Amino acid sequence: MATIAVPLGGQAEQQEAEAVRRPALSDYLRWSVDHKIIGVQYGVSAFLFFIIGGAMAMGIRLELWTPELDLMVSGAAYNSLFTIHGTIMIFLFIIPMWAAFGNFVVPLQLGAKDMAFPWLNAFAFWLIPPAAVVVLLGYFVSPAEAGWTSYPPLSTLFSGDGQTLWALGAHLLGISSIMGSINFIVTIFNMRPPEMTIWRMPLLCWAVLATSIIAVMATPFLAGALTLLLLDRVAGTTFFDAAGGGDVLLWQNIFWFYSHPAVYIMVLPGMGVLSEVLSVHSRKPVFGYRMVGLSSMGIAFVGFTVWAHHMFTSLQPELRIPFMITTMIIAVPTGIKMFSWLGTIWGGKIRFTSAMLFALGFLSLFVIGGISGVMLAALPFDIHVHDTYFVVSHFHFVLFGGSVFAVYAALYHWFPKVTGRMMNERLGRIHFVFTYFGFLFTFFPMHVVGMLGMPRRVAVYVEAFQPWNQLISLSAFVLGFSTFIVIYNVIKSYYHGPIAGANPWRALTLEWQTTSPPPPMNFDDDPIPFEDPYGYGTEASAAYLEVVDEAFGVRSNRAGEH
Amino acid sequence: MENRGSNTPSISPAAVVVAAVFLLVSVIGINWFTTFVPVVLPEQASAESKSVDELFYILMIIGGVVFFLIQGMLLISVIAFRARPGDEGDGPTYHGNPLLEIVWTIIPALVVVFLAVVSFNIWTQNTEPKAAINMVEGQSISINVTGARYAWTHQYVTERFDPDGNQIVINSGPELHTYIGQNVDLTLQTQDVIHSYWVPAMRVKQDLLPGDPRRGGRPTQLRFTPIRVEDRSYPARYPIVCAELCGDGHGRMQGTVIVYEDESQFLDQFYEPAIYAILNPPADPVLRGEIEIQNYICNSCHILDSLGWTSTTGPSLNGVADRAGERVPGQTAEEYIATSIWNSGAFRVPGYDQQMAAFGPDVMEATNVMSPEQLYSIVAYLCTQGEQSDCDMENASAAIPDAIQTVFGYEVDITFGMEDDEDEAMLEADAASDDESGASG
Repeated sequence: MATIAVPLGGQAEQQEAEAVRRPALSDYLRWSVDHKIIGVQYGVSAFLFFIIGGAMAMGIRLELWTPELDLMVSGAAYNSLFTIHGTIMIFLFIIPMWAAFGNFVVPLQLGAKDMAFPWLNAFAFWLIPPAAVVVLLGYFVSPAEAGWTSYPPLSTLFSGDGQTLWALGAHLLGISSIMGSINFIVTIFNMRPPEMTIWRMPLLCWAVLATSIIAVMATPFLAGALTLLLLDRVAGTTFFDAAGGGDVLLWQNIFWFYSHPAVYIMVLPGMGVLSEVLSVHSRKPVFGYRMVGLSSMGIAFVGFTVWAHHMFTSLQPELRIPFMITTMIIAVPTGIKMFSWLGTIWGGKIRFTSAMLFALGFLSLFVIGGISGVMLAALPFDIHVHDTYFVVSHFHFVLFGGSVFAVYAALYHWFPKVTGRMMNERLGRIHFVFTYFGFLFTFFPMHVVGMLGMPRRVAVYVEAFQPWNQLISLSAFVLGFSTFIVIYNVIKSYYHGPIAGANPWRALTLEWQTTSPPPPMNFDDDPIPFEDPYGYGTEASAAYLEVVDEAFGVRSNRAGEH
Repeated sequence: MENRGSNTPSISPAAVVVAAVFLLVSVIGINWFTTFVPVVLPEQASAESKSVDELFYILMIIGGVVFFLIQGMLLISVIAFRARPGDEGDGPTYHGNPLLEIVWTIIPALVVVFLAVVSFNIWTQNTEPKAAINMVEGQSISINVTGARYAWTHQYVTERFDPDGNQIVINSGPELHTYIGQNVDLTLQTQDVIHSYWVPAMRVKQDLLPGDPRRGGRPTQLRFTPIRVEDRSYPARYPIVCAELCGDGHGRMQGTVIVYEDESQFLDQFYEPAIYAILNPPADPVLRGEIEIQNYICNSCHILDSLGWTSTTGPSLNGVADRAGERVPGQTAEEYIATSIWNSGAFRVPGYDQQMAAFGPDVMEATNVMSPEQLYSIVAYLCTQGEQSDCDMENASAAIPDAIQTVFGYEVDITFGMEDDEDEAMLEADAASDDESGASG
């Protein structure tokens, strides 16, 4: 039997004195170098952008209710709408949202007092508001209408000044992402307690590490591409102008060399969240911990070799085959993760908390995105569905069914730690049902319209597709509505939720071995991690959790209802 | 503290029943999945579509197995392994199983190797250059496709020659004409941004990439062979779609593939009439202009009710002749219309950007080349578009060539396309029809 590790000395009396001691709301509006404040700043601003981007998605679906232009004044207006929708969701929602959870949770999981570079951390966040202003301002001057992928020459010779502002904003966001990622890498490598070897590190940290390595390696390519684009737009260069000796495929190559790995920047932290949530809420160790950690690295590595599958219809035909093969290989490490997660919940004692429901929802939806991903990798089939609604469906399955479901799982899981209060589980379940079915009926039929012949990025379409589009739009409105449930739940629970206590889920990772919310320096003493972050079911872990309970008192309604 | 669980996962008999039912459902489900193939894909109208759909079928079977396996395990887990009310315990401490992990690494790896091999074979088979391409009357001709915002133009460079010895080029606008069994090999070029030529029924798609027109652009190729579709009457029509975002009118950028039953139907209904029309243009410049203007991409941006054009990117051409005289001080209506076509940036209609392509005898883009004679006929046609035309319709065959001479310094051969001995008669006919159009206006 392993030694029983004791986290830290008891401060139960403090808990009694003040149930929930958390920063004032005004603290979140100021410059702060506390990673927990910064995490919330990232999270709340990213969620605001999620609402704005979501409202735009509703506009898109309203326009597509009929085959003609009706809501929008022109095709160009529609183009700028989905351009800004994609830009907001990717650069201002998903990527900063993972920075939010990474910031809040990673230092706590490592038992650290803060990130390695607290000032840099704050600076990275405060680049986002000005960048967002620049991007959104562009929408109101003469909006970018070349899609978030901004292919030249549409984005150079044929677009207005909004495109320049778009590129400047994306540039700033790239800088923010690089700085945040360097901080994560240094923090994860240097700030673990001595007992925590890299093989005892929680899997969220593994995922954030892999993500950060990708971001640091790939984002400079985005910066390079955007610089060339800006020079073409404002300085008269011709990097992408064939008439001046340039090449339009240069942009596609550099852009996708960043943007394909960026897909993993958007989903790997969600996979880290899954490992945490599935293990804790089924009370069972993560199945094949090492392989789950290593597969993150595998995805990160192979992810750099697949970019040109986005160019299957423009690339020289003989170059398409190698990229088909690398793309298919990605399925292997992704499959390892899927099976390991199933192995994790298999035989466990599953608590159907809201966090767990969203994690299970991720599993069930991400597998569809994975299957359509392999279908898209199969070159001859891709040629048919490339740039159609099939692709729109695929990336929403991985980025909404994947990332957003993981964001919700993370929200329900760590909200008690962030605010000291539990979220309402009943509302959480209602939210899950609306989101899951709203999502499924929005995005699954898109496969079909894509295969039947509807290209993406069109405001007008063939009349035969109208019934499909009306089903999609109706479901999208249900999905849009579901967001209000979680907003209401967050606000209500922030003020009136049951007191959470230190460790409402009885989890073994270190973020739970301190008060909720944690004190300014996170731990009053140096915390001692349990030998295995997921060692549920052993007597040692039971004893460890008991000590934690004694130290901080049991305040929560323990893991909600079962 | 309560029991933390035993060391072996326990599966209840209920779970076994669920698993068995699920297995049965998945087998039926996969079968049912594949019946959807014809419903979720367009008709199979090319040889390529057959093999692509076979690949889709394989992908659906493999995808179906993965789908039902994972959803099934998920379903069993949430039913069989849910924590019973009051059970505060943990699950078994089970860290993994190296053998199982190796299995679920190797099997997916083998599956993707299999898929890669199948895809590679279908790809090489579908894209292999064929020996006899674009065969018409035993000769291989070139078919060029031009994409320009927001229209497709198809040009057949025939092996026939007009009396002056020039190769005849058929312009079929947004329509691609082909016949069952013809190995179509298209050369694609864009005039502006990236477009993507997609024929869903053929399962083919290729981007058009901007290149330097001085170096012959950057042509790309697209190949397919139409096949017979059961229960289809011929000629059969299939949509052409632009699949790469190209701007405001992207959704409207469409065309049609017209597949004839065999080569003789192709020749009778399309090829020969088209060549005849080129060799025997109508004498009346207005009628000729009505044909000529449809060989250009004007419809991609303008409204013109008489021809059914509906695009709103550029100013409407309805009633253009009524306004033409007052647009630019010192310019006659004929001069204004001619200038607006060849030197489109000279005057900008308020509320519209300068987006119009360049047309003229010397432009780089083959599809935009417009001779002074073609300009003459197009101006003559546009002069009829209005209630009270500002043009001098009484005297069109002199006024328009004069305008072209004044503005661009080009001499117009108004006998263009006609046999010399017919000139006199034609000129009279011109004048007569001009009277008519003027009167009807």
